[in-house]
Amino acid sequence: MAPPPAPPQKSPSPSQPSGKSEVSDLKLQLRQLAGSRAPGADDSKRDLFKRVISYMTVGIDVSAAFSEMVMCSATSDIVLKKMCYLYVGNYARCHPDLALLTINFLQKDCHDEDPMIRGLALRSLCSLRVPNLVEYLVAPLGAGLKDGSSYVRMVAAVGVLKLYHISAATCLDSDFPAVLKSLMLTDPDAQVVANCLFVLQEIWNLEANKSEEASRERETLLSKKIVYYILNRIKEFNEWAQCLVLELVAKYIPSDTDDIFDIMNLLEDRLQHANGAVVLATIKVFLHLTMSMTDVHQQVYERIKAPLLTLVGSGSSEQSYAVLSHLHLLVMRAPMLFSSDYKHFYCQFSDPSYVKKLKLEMLTAIANESNTYEIVTELCEYAGNVDVPIARESIRAVGKIALQQYDVNAIVDRLLQFLEMEKDYVTAETLVLVKDLLRKYPQWSHDCIAVVGNISSKNVQEPKAKAALIWMLGEYSQDMPDAPYILESLIENWDEENAAEVRLHLLTAAMKCFFKRPPETQKALGAALAAGLADSHQDVHDRALFYYRLLQYDVSVAERVVNPPKQAVSVFADTQSSEIKDRIFDEFNSLSVVYQKPSYMFTDKEHREPFEFSEEIGNLSLGQEPVGNSPRYDESDKDLLLSTSEREENGGPSTNGPAASGYSAPTDYNSSLVSLSSQTQSETAISDPGMPKYTSQMTLAIDDLLGLSVSAAPAPPSLKLNPKAALDPGTFQRKWGQLAVSISQDCSVSPQGIAALTTPQALIRHMQASSIQCIASGGQSPNFKFFFFAQKLDGPPLFFLVECIVNTSSAKAQVKIKADDATASEAFFGLFQSALSKFGVL
Amino acid sequence: MPVAASAIYFLNLRGDVLINRLYRDDVGGNMVDAFRMHIMQTKELGTCPVRQIGGCSFLYMRISNVYIVIVVSSNANVACAFKFVVEAVALFKSYFGGAFDEDAIRNNFVLIYELLDEIMDFGYPQNLSPEILKLYITQEGVRSPFSSKPSDKPVPNATLQVTGAVGWRREGLVYKKNEVFLDIVESVNLLMSSKGSVLRCDVTGKILMKCFLSGMPDLKLGLNDKIGLEKESQLKSRPIKSGKTIELDDVTFHQCVNLTRFNSEKTVSFVPPDGEFELMKYRITEGVNLPFRVLPTIKELGRTRMEVNVKVKSVFGAKMFALGVVVKVPVPKQTAKTSFQVTSGRAKYNASIDCLVWKIRKFPGQTESTMSAEVELISTMAEKKSWTRPPIQMEFQVPMFTASGLRVRFLKVWEKSGYNTVEWVRYITKAGSYEIRC
Repeated sequence: MAPPPAPPQKSPSPSQPSGKSEVSDLKLQLRQLAGSRAPGADDSKRDLFKRVISYMTVGIDVSAAFSEMVMCSATSDIVLKKMCYLYVGNYARCHPDLALLTINFLQKDCHDEDPMIRGLALRSLCSLRVPNLVEYLVAPLGAGLKDGSSYVRMVAAVGVLKLYHISAATCLDSDFPAVLKSLMLTDPDAQVVANCLFVLQEIWNLEANKSEEASRERETLLSKKIVYYILNRIKEFNEWAQCLVLELVAKYIPSDTDDIFDIMNLLEDRLQHANGAVVLATIKVFLHLTMSMTDVHQQVYERIKAPLLTLVGSGSSEQSYAVLSHLHLLVMRAPMLFSSDYKHFYCQFSDPSYVKKLKLEMLTAIANESNTYEIVTELCEYAGNVDVPIARESIRAVGKIALQQYDVNAIVDRLLQFLEMEKDYVTAETLVLVKDLLRKYPQWSHDCIAVVGNISSKNVQEPKAKAALIWMLGEYSQDMPDAPYILESLIENWDEENAAEVRLHLLTAAMKCFFKRPPETQKALGAALAAGLADSHQDVHDRALFYYRLLQYDVSVAERVVNPPKQAVSVFADTQSSEIKDRIFDEFNSLSVVYQKPSYMFTDKEHREPFEFSEEIGNLSLGQEPVGNSPRYDESDKDLLLSTSEREENGGPSTNGPAASGYSAPTDYNSSLVSLSSQTQSETAISDPGMPKYTSQMTLAIDDLLGLSVSAAPAPPSLKLNPKAALDPGTFQRKWGQLAVSISQDCSVSPQGIAALTTPQALIRHMQASSIQCIASGGQSPNFKFFFFAQKLDGPPLFFLVECIVNTSSAKAQVKIKADDATASEAFFGLFQSALSKFGVL
Repeated sequence: MPVAASAIYFLNLRGDVLINRLYRDDVGGNMVDAFRMHIMQTKELGTCPVRQIGGCSFLYMRISNVYIVIVVSSNANVACAFKFVVEAVALFKSYFGGAFDEDAIRNNFVLIYELLDEIMDFGYPQNLSPEILKLYITQEGVRSPFSSKPSDKPVPNATLQVTGAVGWRREGLVYKKNEVFLDIVESVNLLMSSKGSVLRCDVTGKILMKCFLSGMPDLKLGLNDKIGLEKESQLKSRPIKSGKTIELDDVTFHQCVNLTRFNSEKTVSFVPPDGEFELMKYRITEGVNLPFRVLPTIKELGRTRMEVNVKVKSVFGAKMFALGVVVKVPVPKQTAKTSFQVTSGRAKYNASIDCLVWKIRKFPGQTESTMSAEVELISTMAEKKSWTRPPIQMEFQVPMFTASGLRVRFLKVWEKSGYNTVEWVRYITKAGSYEIRC
């Protein structure tokens, strides 16, 4: 073995003070050792290298010692070499010039007689990740793929993928994929075959969008010939490679039923593999192959149940969580098939809460006539659990089962027993459920109301529960003797009620109660309306105003609107569309199942949170060009036109967007109304008890009292946008980062709009017509993302920034608005929404 | 194609990086900060082992005082990632011999870097078999054994070589005394209602082997499981001998077991790896023999006193005995004073877990033992709500007993040199999660 020539020895420069800092000290020592051939030099080098690596690990920048490290790397000690490779791999990317130094010795090592060293050197060479060194990679990789040692070939195969990620063109031009393909089909070593397979898959998947040939190659990988070749060798692969192979097989489209059964027979024993990942991968194959054969598919469920349940019970709780997520998916798809296995989903006291939560959901799903009693009994045990979120979750589960219509009678009893436990959170959850139950089974109202009526509203603090209680007070006020008085006391404490949701419900409940028991509720209703009108929350204020006007218009109409005879709700809306569920199923054995959403929702940049914004804006196509194209093109021509139209707009609110005026109006009524309707006056007026002609009298009373009609309202100042607003992306990005979201809301897009939204540009042009400019846009069907901005016309330059995600499959747009002046954002949202709603219609 | 990992971090409990390895560029270097900020420093820890922060997914688990965090940006294969971590830790343990903790990582960090390089490449798991890796990554870091040979002998890095050699076993092993140790370890899980009915009960068992055998032996294991026995009687066309047969719900095997032969002949035949390994795992839900019956009576006498009576009966053979029996009876937080009477063992109140802990070192079969305790509580004004009782938990080990009734009928060893082997078989049943509601 020829020793590698020693690098030129440099003596430590006397001017450099040693020990000034750790790093320079290390550098010095390394330099002294660099050329040393003294016995024991390797040992001291090792110690030094270890220190360097440990500094690197804790995050101290030791890149200053790069050249010294390279000098010392000329060694025959394999551990030293490995440490050096690690170091080089870590720093090469940020020091491409220094990385060049290492090329020489790495290339030399690629020709070492020891296959280990050849492999290691090749791996490190490919891990340098310096684009301008790519040319040095091609030759060693080519040689590596033809190497006699399978270890080197295995490393080289992955090396091709690394090269592809640095420079796709170099990789494809060197024709490496073709070499890999032949290697995959001929190599005697299974690990080499497996590596070639996943490398090819990744490359062709990424290339498939760009070239016809690549997508054809991708198809070839899934051809019967290749799939069978690999399946026949499956026992040669190690457990990890088997996972990858099975992933490929799951995508295979079988030609006929014989094909399906052949594969399943071949793979059946994989279900007994000790590695859970292999078992899950096999299950995926089985499920996907039998999709078209309903009865066989069902048998597959029966077959995979046992291995899945075993996997859940073995291994760490993290592992069982991963498996349980998959089981959860299957249970949700076919609950009947698991209905006899419910005992497996009983929670153990020691289970972590993330496991318990999944189990509760599964218990809920598989409840049917035969097992409901046992399941509900078990769930009731959890209601007293020390883990409060789980206790809540289990009460909710009981309610959900009740809504599934099994054994309602017994469940209602249980729920009512919960109320007697006198634990705040139990009471709170139960109230919400009782409300839902009553909406579905009004026939139970008598039993429930008797118990609910005994609950003191003081013991209920959670907004959701309070709202539920208030809803019941309003809805069943004729059955609860105290209802008007409880409502009255709640209204008295209006100011202490923080949740808008509760205040909204109070208004409605007061109205409902009023229609049922007018004399007792009048006072409370008056107080509620007055408090509602004075409320600072927009929705509460609006609702109070709406009720007020409704009463003013006609009490009987108001009753029809607020308190119509209700139909029992038959089915509560499912939160997830079946399309999404199918997509998750397609991505079995991946994170999608754990997150319970398809991968595009969490891997696509389009769907990520604004957390990633700074990165993101670079990736979206900048909308500057289209913005510049139309409005700025003939700016001077349009100037006059625009100014006239603006004048028109100023003249009357009618020309403005309807939503805009609707939104800005209430703020102005606010003051006038409250000053007019002093509370005492309204009380005396309403409390006039002329029962038979009650309705008309009351209407008159209110009219007299307030003496105003709708038309008398002053026109609201409308928001005007500057049609020539300009903002550069940098400023936009900065503002987006600084400002808080002032409005975040979903709105729907008309079907015509969805039809017109074939490219982002269509919407961008449309929004420009409403003086809302696009700064960046991206995405493809079904998801488009836009960043818009607009500027207020008058006064200081105030900007509105909008993030708008349009999903064409659900016809929904998610709008997030940030504004320099947050108070105007409601008005702006109105404008934005009306503009959006017109998209495609005009 | 799902990747298993883009990066892997080993952190201590304070969040310091002990070791990190970036396999792919798609995750940034500051990801560990995100983990610290969003998971470690909030209450998120323990709520879910898979979390998404800023477009990256964090899959983490804690092993002793170390967090192992896998970061991926794509739609990864979760089961594979967690299994990889578990296997990697097992591999590290086999290298440092025993514990895996912060100190072990600090002391062996170069070795771990070396291993991390081999066991995963660009996010795809490669080979994690200690048998194979030990051939070329030696703890001392000497040059690999091939370097001395100029020929290009293929590195045995795949499970199976062209030659048909067995990947998990080296050739040419020689032992003076050929021995096989076989342990059947079962853990019984029980959930019993307060009324004494069994809500859920199952046994998860594993067969652990330690082989010190020369050459390339072929082993065949016979159990008293129903399917295996039926198949055998079918093949030999003679009726099943009387005696208990066991129905295994599900079985998984070590990769050395010939699964095709298991499926056709229902026999477990294999060429074992050298040393210690887990041969198979199984699960049983029918016909479980519970080793202990627990009969608790807990009375709340007014607001400040409780009377706890627990009777434990052993229902296994009279000649056998259980070791390390611990019964934990939860009591309310505001317990002030306790007094005990026990017929055997010792009992005391452990305030840190809010339990009465009753320990019995040796518990013979077919006997019973009782503990009665008086508990005095501090009366608090707020505590008018009834106390929700967590279940009683029990720990034990019963040697020479299997809750499933599984027995080894035979273990045959064939080797071409025809040596004699000594076989040792042990049985032990432990408590898994043995919970009795009260």
